[in-house]
Amino acid sequence: MSFLVAAALGVGLFVVIPIAAHLLRRGRVRDRPFPPAALVPAARSVARERATIEDRLLLLLRGLAILCLAVIGATPFVRCSRLSLARSSGASVAFALVLDDSHSMRAKGAEGTHWSRATHAAQELLGSAREGDAIAIVLAGKPARLALAATTDLNAARRTLSELTDSDRSTDLESAIELARSSLAGLSHHDKRVVLLSDLAGGELPEGEPPLWVPLADLTNPLENCAICSAERHGHRVDARVACTSPAAAAGRSLSLTGSKSAAAVPLAVRAGEQDLGLDADPKLDHPELELSGADALASDDHAVVAAESAALGVLVVADVANASAETGGAPVLEQALGALESNAVLHPVALLPDDPSEFRGNALVLLDDPGGITPEARSALVGFLEQGGVAVAFLGPRAEQTPLGATLEPFVHGALHWEGAATSGIDDSSLAWLGPEAASLHDLTLRGRAALGTADLLGASVIATFSDKQPFLTERSVGRGAVFTVALPTSVERSDFPLRPAFLALLDYWVGEASTRRGVTQSSAGSEWLFPSGTTVSIDGPRGPLVARDHAGASGNPQKSFTPVVAGAYTVRIDDRREERVATIDPVEVTTLPRKPPDSAALARSKAGASNVDASPELGFVALALLGL
Amino acid sequence: MSEPTSNPSGRLRRALDWGKLAPLRLHAKSVADGVYAGGHRSRRRGAGIEFGGQRNYVPGDDLRFIDRHALLRHGELLVRQFETETDRTLCLLVDASASMSFRGDGAPAPKYAFAALIAAALTKIAVSSGDRVSLDWFGGERTVELATSGGREAFERVVGALETAEPSSDLQMDLSALERSVARVERRARQGASVVVLSDLIDLPDGALEAISALGVRGKTLVVARVLDPTELDFPFTGPVHLRALEGEARVETDAAAARPQYLAALAAHARVWSERLVARGGSLVETSSANDPVKTVRAVLDALGGRA
Repeated sequence: MSFLVAAALGVGLFVVIPIAAHLLRRGRVRDRPFPPAALVPAARSVARERATIEDRLLLLLRGLAILCLAVIGATPFVRCSRLSLARSSGASVAFALVLDDSHSMRAKGAEGTHWSRATHAAQELLGSAREGDAIAIVLAGKPARLALAATTDLNAARRTLSELTDSDRSTDLESAIELARSSLAGLSHHDKRVVLLSDLAGGELPEGEPPLWVPLADLTNPLENCAICSAERHGHRVDARVACTSPAAAAGRSLSLTGSKSAAAVPLAVRAGEQDLGLDADPKLDHPELELSGADALASDDHAVVAAESAALGVLVVADVANASAETGGAPVLEQALGALESNAVLHPVALLPDDPSEFRGNALVLLDDPGGITPEARSALVGFLEQGGVAVAFLGPRAEQTPLGATLEPFVHGALHWEGAATSGIDDSSLAWLGPEAASLHDLTLRGRAALGTADLLGASVIATFSDKQPFLTERSVGRGAVFTVALPTSVERSDFPLRPAFLALLDYWVGEASTRRGVTQSSAGSEWLFPSGTTVSIDGPRGPLVARDHAGASGNPQKSFTPVVAGAYTVRIDDRREERVATIDPVEVTTLPRKPPDSAALARSKAGASNVDASPELGFVALALLGL
Repeated sequence: MSEPTSNPSGRLRRALDWGKLAPLRLHAKSVADGVYAGGHRSRRRGAGIEFGGQRNYVPGDDLRFIDRHALLRHGELLVRQFETETDRTLCLLVDASASMSFRGDGAPAPKYAFAALIAAALTKIAVSSGDRVSLDWFGGERTVELATSGGREAFERVVGALETAEPSSDLQMDLSALERSVARVERRARQGASVVVLSDLIDLPDGALEAISALGVRGKTLVVARVLDPTELDFPFTGPVHLRALEGEARVETDAAAARPQYLAALAAHARVWSERLVARGGSLVETSSANDPVKTVRAVLDALGGRA
């Protein structure tokens, strides 16, 4: 017990003062000499009783006030702590505020949510900054972002801080800390600090300089929480993924559909971690929602919107089994490669490109291997498919120059195409650098010919990869909301070893991803980007209102629109004249990852950094007592 | 609020605080100078030679002076008055009971000091006019009764007696003491004498009103000057108060704000009773306060006596 605490408790003894005053006040009604007293009417009952009641109430209030103030002074019921930056030699300080805006920071403690405490602490630190101090703000929600590059403009820092909001992102502390350190690296300040305002739930804390300071260590206290991470409808069933921090958090709780009286609640398994639960859903429910019974530290994740059933990505593979298969037999190379991707895509192999638009329904990607021409009907159906956001890839081979009458290679190439003998031995991997390291595998190819795209009418397509002699190897062209890609090589291993190279799988993965992006997903984790072609008109409304679009360069350099849903919930996406519902979900790992205690180095950094934590609550109590005394 | 002089029962007696009215002699002369208008002809009416008007008959009037003509003509009992220059005795009866020692907050002096000042000023005026003066008391200690005398020495004796007396004693239950004092005044005052009673009329025994009002009969002129403290007139207390009378056993605990209207009404009724009874006996009541201008009080007494001495 400190001296201040003992002294504050001792103040409680002052309660005798109002008691003494009360007794004195009672005795104050003493005899007054008054000769004509016989003429004065007695009114003792009224006067005395009123005074007695007033005295007792006054005594009670005064006594309670003193006792309360003594307790306040002795215990930090009212905390007046504030963070501030102390300076070792009065010099300017450069510090990076790493604010964790992940889902776990939305948990509510005794003094508000962790996020509100973190932002409040950041404001306090910012309030102690002086002119000349440099500050950077980094957000640790996944992906880690630099909200404000290091600047000495404190007003800009305050403005940035005031605009920050919490989110349901995952945690990416490691990247955020590295980003914070790199943001301070170029500054000339001698005194640099990285302030981590997080619950430390997720990721390692990388060692390095400047050292970490974790001022809000109490945020790392474990909290009991269960969250509905995601839910998707499958016919009459709803499959949900629930994550709990501990068995205690799951005990006695159940999952149920809101608004459905017939559906029974499914109890949670009493264990920590993820668990998948299934419920019977009423088919008449248009927008079912799930809820968890009971209460925990984070109420917002106890409710979740059920996403609509997402159809698997359909891939229409048009290949000639005879020409496109390996000599060892089996399915065409394309099909085998797609199976190796484990992309959950559903393959629909056909011998001819369908000329019925309905046959494209359910597919997002069309792969044509060595097409011998596309009939007008098939072309019309294909263009319709493309305009709706489909992706078509043509691997041109020798049959490209043998198109029958009435058939063309449009929309890939206009007019006749020549199949020429190989004049080169590989792909210019620098032109294919956007694909990643796999591009190097195409540097040295064994070719027995190629489609002469350089002499063909590419209909305005852009060349995104070339052979080593600068002839087009891969072109891309947008058609409506979709895209067509033209490859100058077929998938037949008899024509080249292109399909045997890792880059072939990488290209297939890229096209599957492109098709998936253009088709859209029904649900994705909060914080992940939703990309749309720049030519489309997109608006998205979410739980916090409309999302703001950002320009984004695609993997191949094409401009795109990017939207980032940061909180879990239902979003309405309007793409041109089409409307769809998407759901942002919570990463289960974010829920199950428990806060960790700050490492000793981070705790010790506080003293090294020279920051101070001022607690003025006892002084406040004494001041209040003095005011009461006055 | 000063405590009254206590009853001497072996304890050391405290001298009366005369307040702003000390020294009495000088103040009395000053007051008298303010009132005195030089040699004059007495306008006191009574038995004499020159007709001085009529007044209503009161029991005790000499039947020889009843105006027969007025009785026969108007059926009213009127007494014929004549101006006289004889028997201009001033009989002072001063209350020196314990209640007269009361001095409230803001009062310049105790009630007794004010009453003594009035008595001394009246003495000075009377002596200056050649009238004789007597002094009697009811209540008090170390009181000296002065027989009727005149001249400058009479004033000195009266002042000395007033300064020597100390207000004390409880008269409330001692009617006989009051009656003895009244009897002495009756013996000194002959027809045409002026009797001035200076008292607060508080805590007097039952029968005091009858006894004192009887001094107004038989051709004497009676004026009772009621001297009260400002505190007694205004009742300025607030909140719960416990009041104790200086004579008798009266104790009262009350809420000042609630009791004030009733007290003031009772005080007014008390004065009204005295006034009515005195008027019925040919006397009059002059109400004054120890905070009042003594000159005005003396003039009021003289006016009540029917003329200046």
